[in-house]
Amino acid sequence: MLLWQTSQTINFAQGEFVMLPAFFVLAAMKFGGLSFPMAMLAGFAVSLLVLGLLFKRLVVEPVIRHGVLPLVISTIALAILMKEGVKEFYAADAQPFPAAWATTNLQVAGMVVSVQNLVIIAVAALAVAALQYFLAGTRTGRSMQATAQNPALARVLGIPVGRMVLYTFLINAGLVALASFLVSPIYLAKFTNGETLGLVAFVAAIVGGFNQVRGAIAGGLLLGVVDNFVAAYLSAQYRAAIPLFLLIAVILLRPQGLLGRVEERTV
Amino acid sequence: METDILAVEDIVGGYGKQTVLNGTSFRVARGAITTVIGPNGAGKSTVFKAVFGLLRVQRGRVVFDGREVTNLDPRRLLELGISYVPQGRNVFPELTVLHNLELGATAAGRDANVAGRIESLMERFPMLRRKAGAQASTLSGGEQKLLEIARGLLLEPKLMLIDEPSIGLSPLLVKETFGILQDLRAKGVSILMVEQNAKRALEISDFGVVLELGRTRIEAAAGAILADPRVGQLFLGGHIAGS
Repeated sequence: MLLWQTSQTINFAQGEFVMLPAFFVLAAMKFGGLSFPMAMLAGFAVSLLVLGLLFKRLVVEPVIRHGVLPLVISTIALAILMKEGVKEFYAADAQPFPAAWATTNLQVAGMVVSVQNLVIIAVAALAVAALQYFLAGTRTGRSMQATAQNPALARVLGIPVGRMVLYTFLINAGLVALASFLVSPIYLAKFTNGETLGLVAFVAAIVGGFNQVRGAIAGGLLLGVVDNFVAAYLSAQYRAAIPLFLLIAVILLRPQGLLGRVEERTV
Repeated sequence: METDILAVEDIVGGYGKQTVLNGTSFRVARGAITTVIGPNGAGKSTVFKAVFGLLRVQRGRVVFDGREVTNLDPRRLLELGISYVPQGRNVFPELTVLHNLELGATAAGRDANVAGRIESLMERFPMLRRKAGAQASTLSGGEQKLLEIARGLLLEPKLMLIDEPSIGLSPLLVKETFGILQDLRAKGVSILMVEQNAKRALEISDFGVVLELGRTRIEAAAGAILADPRVGQLFLGGHIAGS
């Protein structure tokens, strides 16, 4: 979403971007003989390089000149490439991924809560808060927002537009790596993980409002709640259809998203 | 010290193979207001983009304050003392007025007292202080223009390029905006503007430049251009000779 704002990049490989860093870590342990913490660091660094820098240089920059649609198609191709690449060269079956924290359960007021889920929520909340602080509270962050809102004007004011866009790609890469390390212990690392993740994230963003970080979070929560209610009270069989159903409903009734603002387009 | 702050010398430039500027030349006097007028497609806005490094100059040169600046990067030109207020709405809609202003100082040197300059701009334009915390998108058209001009002044430029400052503003706000430009001139800032509202603009200007098809047709004192019958013809018997 940040990418969309600063560089008009819609990344249909975003789900695969979350799938891949876990395999960077697994590969670093298997082939590099690194310990798990070292492999996490290495996986993070490789993610920044490959999913941030190289993605920008080798995919987005050469293709976006020809328009947004070719880029969309390229990211779909990239998604397939990443998925099949992992299947061919690493493993086709789900790989266990170690958790960096305790996996016990806690009893809280009669409910069983897994520590793992709490950690995920806490780390995700922290990451979002840090991102929001960076974007709104620092000069560099505001320069990035400025670049997103009006790149031509940013250039006129002497804001280093290219560097701001690069930061955006790096932040995106960092966040997907973080997400990968958080969810892989639960879902296991599998080459198809990106499919569901990408779909859910994309729908969450559209449902919440494509141009608002808050919106995407709200959209994600809504999706999760509706999903679980349907599974519990109606039928788990309809579960897979829920995101798509929500997507259609929102596009029909409130195309700018629940919290989104209507974008003005100047001709 | 030379009398001209800017000289545009025989420049050629355009988009793709199509040239819009076909040997445009004119000078901008120091401490004065110079207005570029001309019919649609004459290359008025394009000449600004070429001067400010946003459009490649293919031939000819641009000299600012005695040094050649042809095809320099906008960032460098800001540092040298040119600022540019483009046509239309040029604010970051979702940032506050204060943050919009601050971003105008991106190219300022490390030792520049940005906070002090913002303070004095707010002193001068109280609206900016009143709305400092508001999102720029909530400002009226006139307030946005004021914010843009104030932001352009943050670097204390020697020369300000302003493209169509009056577009979309009510007559009262046009008067106010032109009043601000006159104040700036009194403080020694040189101004080069493009205006659709040719008559009003020339009335507050010292010099005028008439462009047609990317060439300079007339370059003279503003009063002389206002009185020139050829100018009326160029506008198809329109604005200048009329009203």
